[in-house]
Amino acid sequence: MYVPFELEMPGDLAGALGALAAGTGAKTMAMAGGTNLIVDMRAKRERPDRVVGLGRVGALRGMECGEEWISIGGGTTVTDLLQSKEIAEAAPSLVESSRLFAGLMVRNTATVAGNIACGSPAADLVPPLLALDADVTLASVAGTRTLPLDEYFLGYKRDVRRPDELITRVSWPRLPQSSDQSFINAFYKLARRKGDAITVTGVAVTLVVAGGVCTKARVALGAVAPVVFRARDAESVLEGRALTPARIDEAARAAAASSCPIDDVRASAAYRLHTVEALTRRLIAQAWRRSTDQ
Amino acid sequence: MNRPNIRFRQVGRPLTRTDAPGKVTGRTPYAGDYVMPGMLHMGVVRADIASARLVRLDVSKARALAGVACVLTAADLPERTASTDIPGQVGQKRLDTGQQILVRERVRYFGEPLALIAAETRDIADHAMELVEIELEPIPGVYDPLEAMKPGAPVVTAPDNIVAERRIRKGDVEAGFAAADLVVENTFRTPFQEHAFLEPEVGLAWVDENDVVNIRVSTQVIEHFRPIADAIGVPHNKVRIRGALVGGGFGGKEDLTVEVYLALLTKRTGRPVRLEYTREDSFVGHGKRHPFILTYRTGVTKEGKITALDVTMVADSGAYVFLSPYVLLYALVAAPGPYRVDNLNVFARAVATNNMFTSAFRGFGALQACAAYEQQMDEVAQAVGLDRLELRRRNFLKTGEPMSTGFVPPSAIWTDQCAERAWAALGEPAPAEGPRCVGRGIACYQQSYGRLTFLHDTSEAWVGVEMDGTVVVRSGVTDIGAGQVSALGQIAVEVLGVTLDNVVVYNSDSAVTPLAGTTTATRALYMTGNAVKQAAEGVRARLVDRAARAFGVEPDAVDLGDNLAFVVDDPEKSMPLVELVRTCGAEGIHRSELAMFRAPFTDFLDPETGQGQAHPDYAYGAHAVEVAVDVDTGEVEVLKSVAAHDVGQCINPAAVEGQIQGGAQNGQGYALSEEMLYEEGRLITPSFSEYLMPTAMDMPKVECIILESRSGVGPYGAKGIGEPAMTPVAPAIANAVADAIGVRVFEMPITPERVVRALKRRDEAARSGPVA
Ligand SMILES: Cc1cc2nc3c(=O)[nH]c(=O)nc-3n(C[C@H](O)[C@H](O)[C@H](O)COP(=O)(O)OP(=O)(O)OC[C@H]3O[C@@H](n4cnc5c(N)ncnc54)[C@H](O)[C@@H]3O)c2cc1C
Repeated sequence: MYVPFELEMPGDLAGALGALAAGTGAKTMAMAGGTNLIVDMRAKRERPDRVVGLGRVGALRGMECGEEWISIGGGTTVTDLLQSKEIAEAAPSLVESSRLFAGLMVRNTATVAGNIACGSPAADLVPPLLALDADVTLASVAGTRTLPLDEYFLGYKRDVRRPDELITRVSWPRLPQSSDQSFINAFYKLARRKGDAITVTGVAVTLVVAGGVCTKARVALGAVAPVVFRARDAESVLEGRALTPARIDEAARAAAASSCPIDDVRASAAYRLHTVEALTRRLIAQAWRRSTDQ
Repeated sequence: MNRPNIRFRQVGRPLTRTDAPGKVTGRTPYAGDYVMPGMLHMGVVRADIASARLVRLDVSKARALAGVACVLTAADLPERTASTDIPGQVGQKRLDTGQQILVRERVRYFGEPLALIAAETRDIADHAMELVEIELEPIPGVYDPLEAMKPGAPVVTAPDNIVAERRIRKGDVEAGFAAADLVVENTFRTPFQEHAFLEPEVGLAWVDENDVVNIRVSTQVIEHFRPIADAIGVPHNKVRIRGALVGGGFGGKEDLTVEVYLALLTKRTGRPVRLEYTREDSFVGHGKRHPFILTYRTGVTKEGKITALDVTMVADSGAYVFLSPYVLLYALVAAPGPYRVDNLNVFARAVATNNMFTSAFRGFGALQACAAYEQQMDEVAQAVGLDRLELRRRNFLKTGEPMSTGFVPPSAIWTDQCAERAWAALGEPAPAEGPRCVGRGIACYQQSYGRLTFLHDTSEAWVGVEMDGTVVVRSGVTDIGAGQVSALGQIAVEVLGVTLDNVVVYNSDSAVTPLAGTTTATRALYMTGNAVKQAAEGVRARLVDRAARAFGVEPDAVDLGDNLAFVVDDPEKSMPLVELVRTCGAEGIHRSELAMFRAPFTDFLDPETGQGQAHPDYAYGAHAVEVAVDVDTGEVEVLKSVAAHDVGQCINPAAVEGQIQGGAQNGQGYALSEEMLYEEGRLITPSFSEYLMPTAMDMPKVECIILESRSGVGPYGAKGIGEPAMTPVAPAIANAVADAIGVRVFEMPITPERVVRALKRRDEAARSGPVA
């Protein structure tokens, strides 16, 4: 069923990076939870000669929730996210996304880095992370670099990561929460059923509100373009203003206008456009209502 | 007609099923768990175009691969076919509609098998499959049954694409429409459905010392040994099917699946051979539920009395006939539903296409009819301005009245009670909030249990009492997870006065357990339950007789219970069952009995009028749901799901509930999310990442209301619940969605996208002003 491959299980990050770097000639791939890779190998969409298992690389796990920044290891599993009180408070969208992610067995092994690196437009952790202004840290034997997640994807299943690099960390600045500033951060996963289904339309929204004005807006959209992306036109309609139904409507239309979905077995492009607009409107309206209620 | 209240000792209790401990602890071997030394592993090479001519099939590289033991193509086989007609224990002649075992020249559906490979390992078999060189020349195919009926359409199999045609002509439909105040006409579409059992098709075959081909296989029908023998050209007594507990059937393991391939290769190689379908194989390896297009034209008076009904049905039978003629017959008979319609025309056709072949699936045509007639009842109610339940009440078929075929079901008809109970149990409606609209729906049904009576169905069982008072039951019945075997045990111990832990049931071996017929058609309990009861009563009569002599009383004064024989009016007079059995043993009194239960035997329905008896009896009930619809996204959430069924008599209420819970889930997926998409006959949703059954997160708590009229023709007045549990679920959901959003989605599954489109239609209609 599988094309034969060699499996290496390095015990630390240096070993993993070394193994990836040594892979010249043979196609080498990292494997974290394997919940994408194994499926792709079984379907023969991927045929690596060497697989570097990351299961024993402790450096990829662990969460740091600081005053200013939150930083999680690339090997953080979806279940880890669900079990963290800190994440629940700081990034509700990520938790909502995790709650609706796959089924229990997959959540226990699927990782954040794997979700990003698979490059799927329907990867559910990516819209929340984009709406949180996350950075990714890439490491190789040659060194590390950190860049905004927003600059990570180049096109459908294409990204800036070199084959010898690993995503070691994902970090984002804590959203402000004080007496004069508050944030709302939400995610909606629309799929053909509630449990364990591939997303048809995913919308993540962050609003920061101060003094009755939306000081920051992030709208990130999943499964409606070749990559998960930020709807910048929608964000700029919202930022620096008090929100009215008309303005929210304008933002929702802008979100749809910046989408370019396809027809597939799950839904038509027309339906995705319809729902990306409706859900963007809903999430922003709800967020605004909640922020002004507070 | 209802039987008086009787006190049962074992029957009617939610006992722990005999199959439960083994399954829960993982001790139970399924067919796929069996292995043998030296066994080979098989793979099936399939066509990836739905309609084509096989130009070249070169297996030489596959044959040459190290570790490949055998490769078979049609060129290696004599011209035989595999039977696709009426599986099971019937004497009737099978129709000559068999399927080619491997493609000889013409590919008729996506996935049709081209070659069989057996190798030392599954990996080698997989590798060999990739080495097979296939050249297929596409032939124009037909993928829509309506297209397939047009003149000039590509013909799937000569002479034409009409696979079966059936009619009911009853009363005077013209006069009925003339007497109507209103005529309501609608067309409904129902989809393909995949059985999606947890356990894909799997089997292990070997040739034994008597030259008998043994096949350990996951099947609903061990009587397939006969068509397997015919297909491989050996006498019937040279094939033996040994079943195993089945990891789900739902009709998908009613036809032959892997058996013939296994038999051919074990014969050819002389070695044990194992074949396990992958999920992808399974999607193309067994027939699907027939999609139907159903047009209902109903004449009704202002008072809500149906005066006439005209129905046309078209079923997509796919590339091979399989059980299409019978599925169609069920749909025909069920066309008016549980309603009294004296003026009735039904015209039903099953049409061949180059889609996946379609065959048995829980509900078997009657379910598709229900999906239409119950939606139509809501449309009619709306048209005449009557409450939905009230319209139904005014038309329910009542006990003792003739149904569509003129036959009077022998049992009680409790549709009204079931409907009232289910509807009432919905309780207070959930609030509608923001974009969420809330709606309710109900659907009632009529579903047969037991096979078509012209098949002359029979079932056998053997019951014996051991010297220590324990009980053995032998019967060929297959247990597909619904508790079939355990129920037989419960009946036997009821009759013999012992408890369930005192019985062992041997089942599912075509050579050594008496043949019981299929586990299909909601017939296992009805048929084999009656056979076991008959056999156990035979044993009991002799035991009681002997005890009566010992007690010096008449036999009818003696009862068996709690492992004792005793005099009913004088329980002091008793003896342990063990003692009684030993006495019988010593005196040569027969402690076992082989019984055959025969269903009513009838002729075929009148071909012109469709009048006559089609089934032994029918079950009735209702399902009610409450849904919330998100009008922005079209998502439907089922909030409440309530089933009320008259099962006649529960043998094991826990098992009955299990069927109802499963039926609610099966029907909900059919209504909302399960979709098989084909492009030119090619399945483009061949895995569980696209084919979406409801998960635990999608299911509400299902409430089960079990009514017992004790009027059925099964043991103790039992009816059946396997198929009925699912039949009304989808239309109840469809009606609830329509209730919530004020517009109907006429095609299932009711996907979010279809809901959004229907809402757009509604809003456009509202904008263009009120309709006349
Ligand atoms: C049944 C099922 C349900 C699913 N449901 C969902 C769902 O609801 N939502 C969703 O978004 N996804 C879902 N998925 C897809 C998958 O689970 C996720 O994308 C998951 O996050 C992948 O993580 P992983 O650790 O398993 O990645 P792997 O399969 O191990 O790897 C995926 C890719 O990432 C690369 N990779 C892994 N780790 C790193 C790293 N540290 N640095 C660089 N590259 C790396 C691998 O080389 C590979 O190319 C589902 C999958 C299955 C099988």
